[in-house]
Amino acid sequence: MNSLLALLPLLVVVVGGLGVLLLEVFLKKENRNYLAYVSLFALIATGAICFLFWNKGYSYFDKYLVLDNFSLFLTMILLLAAAFVVLLSIKYIVLQEVNYGEFYALVLFALSGMMIMVSSSDFLVIFLGLEVLSVSSYALAGLRTKDDKSSEAAVKYFLLGSFASAFLVYGLALLYGASRTTAIPGIIDTFRTETNLGVMALVGLGLVVIAFGFKIAVVPFHMWTPDVYEGAPTPITALFSVGPKAVGFAVLLRFFYPYWKVALDSQAVFWLLWVISVLTMVVGNFIALRQTNVKRILAYSSIAHAGYLLIAILSQDSASLVFYLTVYLFMNIGAFAAVIALSKKDTEYLELKDYAGVGFKYPWIGATFAIFLLSLAGFPPTGGFLAKFYVFVGAVRQGLVPLVIIGVLASLVSVFYYLRIIVYMYMREPVEEIEIYAENPALFLVLFLCLYGVLQLGLFPGNILILVQQAVRSLPLL
Amino acid sequence: MNYPIISLITFLPLAGAIILIFINKEKRSFLLSFSFVITLITFIISLLLYFNFNSQTPDPQFVEKANWIGYGINYHVGIDGISLFLVLLTTLLMPIAILSSWTYIQKRVKEYLIFMLLLETGIIGVFVSLNLFLFYVFWEAMLIPMYFLIGAWGGPRRIYATLKFVLFTMLGSLLMLVAIFVLYTTYFKATGVYSFNLFDYHKLILNPSAQIWLFLAFALAFAIKVPMFPFHTWLPDAHVEAPTAGSVILAAVLLKMGAYGFLRFAFPLFPDALERFLPLLIILALIGIIYGGLMALIQKDVKSLVAYSSVSHMGLIMLAIFALNLEGTEGAIYQMLNHGLSTGALFLIVGILYERAHTRLIKDFGGVSKQMPVFSAFFMICMLSSVGLPGLNGFVGEVLCLFGVFKANKLVAILGVTTVILAAGYLLWMFQRVMQGPITNEKILSFKDVNKREIAFLVPIIVLMFWMGIYPKPFLRKMDASVTHLLNQVSHRERVFLEADRDKGLAIEIKKAMEEVKPEEREKKKHE
Repeated sequence: MNSLLALLPLLVVVVGGLGVLLLEVFLKKENRNYLAYVSLFALIATGAICFLFWNKGYSYFDKYLVLDNFSLFLTMILLLAAAFVVLLSIKYIVLQEVNYGEFYALVLFALSGMMIMVSSSDFLVIFLGLEVLSVSSYALAGLRTKDDKSSEAAVKYFLLGSFASAFLVYGLALLYGASRTTAIPGIIDTFRTETNLGVMALVGLGLVVIAFGFKIAVVPFHMWTPDVYEGAPTPITALFSVGPKAVGFAVLLRFFYPYWKVALDSQAVFWLLWVISVLTMVVGNFIALRQTNVKRILAYSSIAHAGYLLIAILSQDSASLVFYLTVYLFMNIGAFAAVIALSKKDTEYLELKDYAGVGFKYPWIGATFAIFLLSLAGFPPTGGFLAKFYVFVGAVRQGLVPLVIIGVLASLVSVFYYLRIIVYMYMREPVEEIEIYAENPALFLVLFLCLYGVLQLGLFPGNILILVQQAVRSLPLL
Repeated sequence: MNYPIISLITFLPLAGAIILIFINKEKRSFLLSFSFVITLITFIISLLLYFNFNSQTPDPQFVEKANWIGYGINYHVGIDGISLFLVLLTTLLMPIAILSSWTYIQKRVKEYLIFMLLLETGIIGVFVSLNLFLFYVFWEAMLIPMYFLIGAWGGPRRIYATLKFVLFTMLGSLLMLVAIFVLYTTYFKATGVYSFNLFDYHKLILNPSAQIWLFLAFALAFAIKVPMFPFHTWLPDAHVEAPTAGSVILAAVLLKMGAYGFLRFAFPLFPDALERFLPLLIILALIGIIYGGLMALIQKDVKSLVAYSSVSHMGLIMLAIFALNLEGTEGAIYQMLNHGLSTGALFLIVGILYERAHTRLIKDFGGVSKQMPVFSAFFMICMLSSVGLPGLNGFVGEVLCLFGVFKANKLVAILGVTTVILAAGYLLWMFQRVMQGPITNEKILSFKDVNKREIAFLVPIIVLMFWMGIYPKPFLRKMDASVTHLLNQVSHRERVFLEADRDKGLAIEIKKAMEEVKPEEREKKKHE
């Protein structure tokens, strides 16, 4: 239904971001945590609006912006991620001295960019969203101005991100040349009808895939990930690890879901993605084995997870992809929340050896972190298991058994490094005891909610599965 | 019986573990008594299963079925003659294991007990699941507490041992998971119904060439768990490093999961592949028997000696299973219980010694029986039970196993007998070096004999050893129906094959499934 209401969620988020910027002027530095509450309010309001819009199917701008169930579901995921990140940041930015007024505004702007990306099926609008997201992300990555690593992260992210954008634009130009449109349905139509496609369209498609490969951090376009994850403020890392990835996969899904079904000759693209998926799982997991910095381990783990998610793209299994993204949100943000919990003023404990003995000294943080890691490793009865389960079942159904075997063996490798963190937490005696700043109720709320999410999705995912089904059903099949 | 007994015994320990989280960790003796009571109640409830068990029917009993996630993933549990005693063995050994940890575990008692209780839930879950998804969930989930138990309360090389244990087990089980996916997909493509139900899969007649791969994936998972040669290398490490109770559970119950898996899943699902791989499996079992026995002979550490004796004994059990006849299979199940009791007891005894001496090296001991006469008697009975002395449980099991093997293949049986000879060799020799002779080490003079708590947990095992050795009938007759049914499934299966068709996947022929499930029911099932 064409309605101006379709703009509402986006407007609330942007107005929230602008409001935070304005309000900051009038607030003393020690009162800046009010900004967090304002942002949270905006997020909750947007969430409520999305909830009300479920099944309504509003759209505007001549269907350039569509709030189908799919985009609403992903918007909810992104909102949840942003809300978690805001909660995690309240104490963090004070303790680590990144307490700039722009912080929350940038988070909201990044969110609005992501929301644009999931709500459109026109590559040009998606590109707009991507730029909004990217510019905010570059700034957020470099906020820890006292640390050279943070600046390095920002510069790296900026350079490689710009390359990715350039690839996207160039690819779009080629696709436009081949199909005279930038809208996904139109492009797909070209692939369906043109018997004599020529190199232009394929190269264009390849370039678009590469651009999104950067965003979702698949091998060989993953080089920026560990450095950016390590350098950025940790809550922002949590956002980067979930948000852009979910968005990138949503766009890929919007394109490939109909593409596999109708394209005349999709073999080349299929095998390209197949190889990328295998490389991502193998390289991501094997490099993670040698890391000693927890943030870097989680960075490589997020690369590996992109590989599993690509399996879902390849097996045309959109429901399991969306479910995986949902679970991934809880377990990954939960893991980062635990990492943030282990910090004190001006110090973050990020090396593996710092974690020795943490499990027994801080039982709640240790236990939840262990559960998130086990979930990431795919142990039942956590959500991580069920997510992998659905993806792999879907792939077997499509006859991709070799890919699944590679996938499970890669996740066997991943078990080693996830368990290594647990080994440090529970099985090694601490060299020196670490002290942490423990009065952080917002953070414990996030830990608890993520724990709840991981267990609920692992044990009783029934209702969420129904929502996922509804979301996926709204994807246009052409 | 309308009470959900199985759910009760499965989840009572889990509930206990959750309650433990909220108890102050300083209250050490309360924590211990609480978990002991929980496991004891679980055991008592599980006895109801035994007394209400109907030994006439091969079908699973006390079945509970509930919708869970949908798409064939249901909560579906039940026990038959094969799993009944394994469940009882678990529930019996758990309170004993907790009693044995009373003074052994000094640090972090609360966390330790939480993991023990979680472990119990996981193990029972594995034995009662009739839905492959549920089975896999328990099978994997059970690894986590064991991983922590070895890793946090184990010996000096615990981290290496525990990672090796987890990675080995997962390697097998992940490939098995892929095989489960293939079965699931095949079944769906053939019938249009989602199902993880084991009995639905029994109706599936698979193409032999597809069976080979599926069987290999299942067999690998179970062979690692048993462990069969050459996948046994994790076992000595894990056993030696685990705390006493961990070793007891590991040896007594966890190893049985592998053998159980063969009986429950690998055999009835893939009979043709089984036929093909039988010679290889028999050879591996034989190598395990002889190799394990020889390795046990040269061990310097009592605990690793017992660990290698497990490799040898489990080899005999596997050999008897592979005989594929009634005597062999029943003997194997019986021997699983015996091995659980005797090896469990031996680990307890090593634990008792270790608590006093803080060493397990055979050369540090000698003449202990002079100092600890009561203990010596216990030790001797357990040791003789493991050797297979007539009158004790081990004898009955070994004789049945060897009967079965002899019936199937005489040469194999003759080679298999070495397990008994070797066991007598390494166990008696170890007993002699540790318990008899002059006291060489002054520390031994300060050893106190077993206390009441230690007697309390050893006596039930000893009683059972005699009972099962003298009057095995109540155990064996409960198994008959189920075992006969299983063997029928394996040997008298209709062999209808069609050529594999790529478009239709591996699904070949569904016998009754198509007739039984009417189209409208199928629609309904789909939505479940």
